[in-house]
Amino acid sequence: MDPRMCRKISSSESLPDADNVEYEVSNIIAPQESDDNFMLDGSPEPHSVTWLDNDQIDELDLNLDQTNLCFHRVDSADIIYRSKKKKCKMVGKYVMGDVLGEGSYGKVKEMLDSESLCRRAVKILKKRKLRRIPNGEQNVQREIQLLRILRHKNVIELVDVMYNDEKQKMYLVMEFCVGVLQDMLEGSPGKKFPQRQAHDYFTQLLDGLEYLHGQGVVHKDIKPGNLLLTLDQTLKITDFGVAEALDMFSPEDTCYTGQGSPAFQPPEIANGAEQFSGVKVDIWSSGVTLYNMTTGRYPFEGDNVYRLLESIGRGEPAPPPPSLGPTLGLLLTNMLKRDPDLRPTVHEIRRHSWVQARPPLEPGERMVTPRSRRSDELHTSTVIPYLVERHYPSAQEYFTERDYRHELGDGGSRTLSTAELSDAESSRRKRRWHSSCGRLPSCRLT
Amino acid sequence: MFNPDINDYQLTSIITECCGGVAVVYSALYKPNNQNVAIKRYFVDKTKENASLIQQDILTRKELQHVNILPYLTSFVHGRELYVVSPLMTFGSCRDILDRYFQEGLPELACAIVLRDVLQALQYLHKQLYIHRSVRASHVLVGANGGVRLSGLRSAASLMVRGRRQRHLHQLPPPDGDNTNLMWLSPELLEQNLKGYDEKSDIYSLGVLCCELANGAVPFAEVPTTLMFTEKVRGSRPQLLDCSTFPEPCLDDSEMKSMYNTDSGVGDSADAVSRLRQVYAGRKLSDTFHHLSEMALQRDPDKRPSATQLLNHPFFKQIRKTDYLPGLIGRVKPIKPDLDDMSALLLQEKLSEMEIEKTTEWDF
Repeated sequence: MDPRMCRKISSSESLPDADNVEYEVSNIIAPQESDDNFMLDGSPEPHSVTWLDNDQIDELDLNLDQTNLCFHRVDSADIIYRSKKKKCKMVGKYVMGDVLGEGSYGKVKEMLDSESLCRRAVKILKKRKLRRIPNGEQNVQREIQLLRILRHKNVIELVDVMYNDEKQKMYLVMEFCVGVLQDMLEGSPGKKFPQRQAHDYFTQLLDGLEYLHGQGVVHKDIKPGNLLLTLDQTLKITDFGVAEALDMFSPEDTCYTGQGSPAFQPPEIANGAEQFSGVKVDIWSSGVTLYNMTTGRYPFEGDNVYRLLESIGRGEPAPPPPSLGPTLGLLLTNMLKRDPDLRPTVHEIRRHSWVQARPPLEPGERMVTPRSRRSDELHTSTVIPYLVERHYPSAQEYFTERDYRHELGDGGSRTLSTAELSDAESSRRKRRWHSSCGRLPSCRLT
Repeated sequence: MFNPDINDYQLTSIITECCGGVAVVYSALYKPNNQNVAIKRYFVDKTKENASLIQQDILTRKELQHVNILPYLTSFVHGRELYVVSPLMTFGSCRDILDRYFQEGLPELACAIVLRDVLQALQYLHKQLYIHRSVRASHVLVGANGGVRLSGLRSAASLMVRGRRQRHLHQLPPPDGDNTNLMWLSPELLEQNLKGYDEKSDIYSLGVLCCELANGAVPFAEVPTTLMFTEKVRGSRPQLLDCSTFPEPCLDDSEMKSMYNTDSGVGDSADAVSRLRQVYAGRKLSDTFHHLSEMALQRDPDKRPSATQLLNHPFFKQIRKTDYLPGLIGRVKPIKPDLDDMSALLLQEKLSEMEIEKTTEWDF
């Protein structure tokens, strides 16, 4: 299915415009006449690839003198790399790290609280981009208002909000998470989790939902893409952009607008009902989420958004595959009832036998771990290189590919943990870091 | 048994303020049996989150019983404050002892006794699946008979989470107001990556405690927090300062001062610094002491010995049965109930005022 159907209806796909995208043109490889060492910016790590747009490639082509085009053969040992400069940038008391993800509103980056040393994530919202999204600014305001009140272990915590009027940017500082369930599903065999793992996440989702509904908040956009995981595998419900705080004094949970993602919408919204029960929307979406996590598929499919909504509107989900077992199948069927009144409440779901008993890990099944954007399966802080740049200005060093491979070991692809690096008996390492220890007499390098 | 009633206690003096200003520790007299106790008085209203931490502290201490862990006697609420009663540790914390009497560090034998007792507490805590997470001199208290007890259990964490035993934890300990606690924490704890940390993190903190007790100054004090972090992550280890490791020729006095936070605030601080340098350069700590701290401060937690293994370290062989900690730190004056203490008296008045209020309360 078109992955766009898992995103919100309202968020139009914005194309990157030229003045908005920052390109790094520092490490363009150009043929040179001299046979001296080439100097390249950026280490030969896979993530330091520079992407050029068509214009830049054209420009490169123009610059090449067709008649004099020749390539010198250069031994890889003669290529000298310069470790990529990581310019340390502070926003308030936070040190900026690498990009964790990107949305239509802006980027999500890692940050480090320079006082408490706590890892954080920051959602950077650009006013200009926000204006182009329907209800963009309104949704952000609502999200901030809601997150300021909500406090639960399974709901993302908004730690800080900062504004930069000059740059027209807003920074939403949040708890740090290592992964999104959606990304983990995409990277796993069969795009699904073992039932044991899905059960763990689903029960935490129920805890979070129970709290939210108790606080009179309907999320309206529950889906694997909005469920994050912390380092200790705690699930966090995020993205309250289309959530709604119900009227505290109304006994009903009536809602009038639905802006969630198509594939997770219930029939009443797909059919364009003017008003509907908000709580039961979350139950439905949680059902689709559980269906997706355990089967790798969706209960409703369609070639495009309209077909999909049409299919949902008929309310006849693809029956859960028998391989799931009868208890889970029954739970899914109940949560995906066309009539909202027939869908179980959070409390009823909790008492269901599939939720009550933790399923075992079947032979051959493996727990799925959060994917990393880099080749670092430990998800080490990306702020550290920036801090190193800041505190050890002379740390920058030239090195050849051979040095680099040597450092990585024979395989060349294995990631060394920082612990291994510093305990390893590598004299080269010592030299590179030596500049630091002169300043701290009470410390010495291993 | 101690009664949970404020009227049975007479506050005698203020010992210290702690927990980032949300609590004050008093010495007090328990009137029914004239026993000296310490009372920690929390201003619960100051921040909401602290209430759960205090609760955690009490629950943990109720569960844990060991000769080297500060016991919990009782607690009660009076007015808007929470009072927690513990035995009075007459010589105060090791941090107080260092600040007031031993700026250049404790004698090596005293360090050995303190470290052995702290290790015994850690051995017990780790067996109970707890990680202490704030092993530091201010949490090591010395009693009248020289008994050493570990406190600060509010930042302790259990490896049992939601009824399941975890191999590793990932969260930082609760913030302590001014974030000084970070200086004692292990690199892997500060890194906050998927590998997490385990009880070996306390062993690293014990290594930092070695340096703190022996040098008088806390390693990494007065260094920016982020630099302390990168130094640890890159594997630089704090050291015991003696003629084998000090002085480094490149240092001038001002740098020295900022590194070791030895500025006492008195006018002749430069003299104090050079005096301190002479002490470090002129002494020799035993090789086993150096070895112990190096073992504990290894970057790779798996290489660090456990508390049990460290207790068998040759460093502790120098302790004889007759060694008596108060004798080794003879300069230190015990905390004496001081009835003339103005602030305590003022407080006493305030308390009695509150009692009057209570008696004149309208009864409908």
